[in-house]
Amino acid sequence: MTDILRISVPITVWIAAFSAVYGLEGVICSDLWRGAGLSLGQGRGALVATWVAAIALQVALLVALRSRRFASPHPWVQRLATILGCVALVATVWSLMPVATTSLCL
Amino acid sequence: MTEKKRMTALRLHKALYPIWRNDPGWKGVLTTVNNNTIGNMFILGATGMFLAGGILAMLIRAQLASPRSAFMGPEIYNQIFTMHGTIMMFLFAIPFFEALTVFLLPGMLGTRDLAFPRLSSYGFWCYMIGSTIMIVALVAGVAPDGGWFMYPPLSSSAYSSGINTDIWLLGISFIEISAIGAAVEVVVTVLRYRAVGMSLDKLPIFAWYMLVVAVMILTAFPPMILGSLILELERAFDMPFFQAEHGGDSLLWQHLFWLFGHPEVYIIFLPAAGVISMVLPVMARTTLLGYGWVVAAAISLAVLSFGLWVHHMFTTGIPHMGLAFFSAVSTLVAVPTGVQIFAWIGTLWKGRPEMHLPMLWILGFFVTFVMGGLTGVMVAMVPFDWQAHDSYFVVAHLHYVLIGGYVFPMIAGIYYWMPVLTGRKRFFRMGETAFWLVMVGFHGTFLLLHWAGLLGMRRRIDTVEAGSGWESINLLASISGFVLAIGFGLVILDVAVNAFVAVRGPRNPWKAGTLEWATPIPGPSYNVASIPVISSRYPLHDNPDLPVQIARGEGFLAWPDRNRRETLAVSISRGEPEFISVFPKNTIVPFVMAVVTSVMFMAPVFKWYWLMFIAAAGVTVLALVWAWANGSRRDEGLLDAGRGVSLPPHTEVAYKPGWWGSLFLLLADSVLFGSLLFGYAFLWTVAPNWPPPRILQPGILGPVLALAGVALASSGIRLGDRAIREDGAPWRGLLASLAGLAALGAAAATVFAGTTYNAHAYDATLWVIAGYVIFHAGLAGLMVLFLLCRIGTGYVSARRFGDARVVRLWIDYAVLTAALGLGAAWLPGVLP
Repeated sequence: MTDILRISVPITVWIAAFSAVYGLEGVICSDLWRGAGLSLGQGRGALVATWVAAIALQVALLVALRSRRFASPHPWVQRLATILGCVALVATVWSLMPVATTSLCL
Repeated sequence: MTEKKRMTALRLHKALYPIWRNDPGWKGVLTTVNNNTIGNMFILGATGMFLAGGILAMLIRAQLASPRSAFMGPEIYNQIFTMHGTIMMFLFAIPFFEALTVFLLPGMLGTRDLAFPRLSSYGFWCYMIGSTIMIVALVAGVAPDGGWFMYPPLSSSAYSSGINTDIWLLGISFIEISAIGAAVEVVVTVLRYRAVGMSLDKLPIFAWYMLVVAVMILTAFPPMILGSLILELERAFDMPFFQAEHGGDSLLWQHLFWLFGHPEVYIIFLPAAGVISMVLPVMARTTLLGYGWVVAAAISLAVLSFGLWVHHMFTTGIPHMGLAFFSAVSTLVAVPTGVQIFAWIGTLWKGRPEMHLPMLWILGFFVTFVMGGLTGVMVAMVPFDWQAHDSYFVVAHLHYVLIGGYVFPMIAGIYYWMPVLTGRKRFFRMGETAFWLVMVGFHGTFLLLHWAGLLGMRRRIDTVEAGSGWESINLLASISGFVLAIGFGLVILDVAVNAFVAVRGPRNPWKAGTLEWATPIPGPSYNVASIPVISSRYPLHDNPDLPVQIARGEGFLAWPDRNRRETLAVSISRGEPEFISVFPKNTIVPFVMAVVTSVMFMAPVFKWYWLMFIAAAGVTVLALVWAWANGSRRDEGLLDAGRGVSLPPHTEVAYKPGWWGSLFLLLADSVLFGSLLFGYAFLWTVAPNWPPPRILQPGILGPVLALAGVALASSGIRLGDRAIREDGAPWRGLLASLAGLAALGAAAATVFAGTTYNAHAYDATLWVIAGYVIFHAGLAGLMVLFLLCRIGTGYVSARRFGDARVVRLWIDYAVLTAALGLGAAWLPGVLP
């Protein structure tokens, strides 16, 4: 089961981060955000911070999956986990890039 | 095979056959739990649904062939196109690959059956009964008519007042039991039931694909099941989840539906990709290029597909940033698809391709699917989608992807595995003619319909106006559509004639290397006479003598000395033997339970809620009968598994198959719960008319009961579990756990007291959350009572404590979801 987790965790973390950022965008664009006295600029900051944190987490996972402590003892699983870790990192960078490049609540 | 070897194989067959065979006659059809028999019946049922869906497609094309056609009126047309989509997506596409998997997977993995044979039977009967209900509704003129994605408010009771929509919501939810059951089985089978030595890197590639697909089913279907449930609650009890004037939002349905609907496309495509990855290397006389990359691509595609759902909602007014997230993932998903395509092209490049009929269909797939994929990238671009949305361009695109990407590879698979399925060698040659008719007919229909879409033809219109400019396109598309139908009809005829009339063929005519070709054809009811030991992905290439060795009983668990159905469970990563799993005998319980379940689902259609509760009680009793038949009243210790290895039976391991099945069932359950919390948060942030006029105040009693419940339930089951393992008295711990679960149920009931179920979407959502908590606390409580009975009757001992572990898992889940659900319900009331 540990090998299944090694294979599945990075890409699952991506979908969790993706959903969290989409949800956060929904909150920022809702009345709740304005009602709490927060501005759209602060919202943008929160989104970018979440994006950066998600990238950092993916890098940390990738390093861990290559480390002696957490890497799979099976070379094939280790390689597969590394490929999927890279996929998750690229997906995090690419799919959440709009937080820095697109208009927020239009 | 020498005479001596043949005699040994024959003696082994004679020993195994009486243990594994079906009951004789028609009784055997109802009581069988064998994967080969159920797989065959499943394939026949799904093919029947393909025919039904195809006939409806022809009715659609007949209607649109000429302007202002009087062939059928809009009321009938709405039912026809809704049922065409519903049948093809829910009653054909998913069941057909499940059927093929049920049939092929045990042989491919070198095991004797799927992990839960009775679940195979139950799933099949749920599917057959549910499908029959849908077809009867169509014939009776009360079929669903709101489109296959049933958007409210059109599907709400204000605009769809008959029972048509209820039949869809409850009927499809019922049929999905089959998909969820099959998914649980496939995951546990692939992870635990394999040939010895079949480590993760030696799995047949189809098994990898099906593992991925099964996990996708477990995570994609629950949002739609939840959506169907709450839409039915709105229709039946006026709980306003989708009514804007009471805080609901029809967009919530679109989110829940497409959270299922988009992964669904990949749930359909990935099994086809698995078939191609099995068939194409054999046709090219080589092995699959980039096995590891293909596995990585399949996993990536599966997970990325969960980040696409909003691309079906680009025109709903979502902010640009949200659109950009989903547009980005929609382009990204093309990369793993491309990796697979290039791996297949590379496989052809390195091999020596031979043009047999399966190969022809795969080439048809390449041409058609790549075209469909490219139009998919086009509609992933937001500005283009705004123009093409809900037009025939989208209709044409989805048919390119689904027919080209799914039906063509499945036909390739049927021809490829025909010897395994039927034991016969293809003799009649209608298949080639059928292929060309399908190709000409398909592209003649759907290539043209892209054009109609670009000219502005909207989907689902029941007539074409004269002078619209779409008339001649539709006439040509209809003529081509009938050519396509004739082609598919010929394929079915060709397969049927060959299956019943053609001569018996040799084993492994394609010289394939995987284990499904290692058994006599068609496969015997026990699949493999002994569990083989393998050392590569293509064991028959390494050891051509392996089929004989398996038949002579040179693998594990050959001679059935214990006179029961046994197979081997292995470790997940390395495929090392871990324990002996004992399978159930033939039984009618799954069939009866499917019938009673169908009553439970269909009674609310006619507002017969009393009958629904009676049927629910019946299902509960049958489930207890089902579970009671598992296990043993005596400790067996280590048993001889053959080849000098001794292993415990599954009743004497901590995490028995039922625990693994429960784990993955709870994965699906947790996604449903997560979707419920998502819906709650969505309504709070996005829906109009929020905050609600009255917020629930938690008070003191509810939280105190909840805290006591969490503490008692989780600590009680642990005390009970420990006492069982130490041969002590588990009663106190288990009774404490029972009291804790009752307290959790009572805590959830306080939510009912503080809200009115139909006052506002907020109240309605809290009722569903509280209902969810009560249901799970009740279910876990029932399990504790069951465990107490098992202890009292000697089914549980210090060595046989697996039942307690299963109950502990369900209690932990009930406690966790109660804490989260009640916390979410009470949180707004305590915030300033």
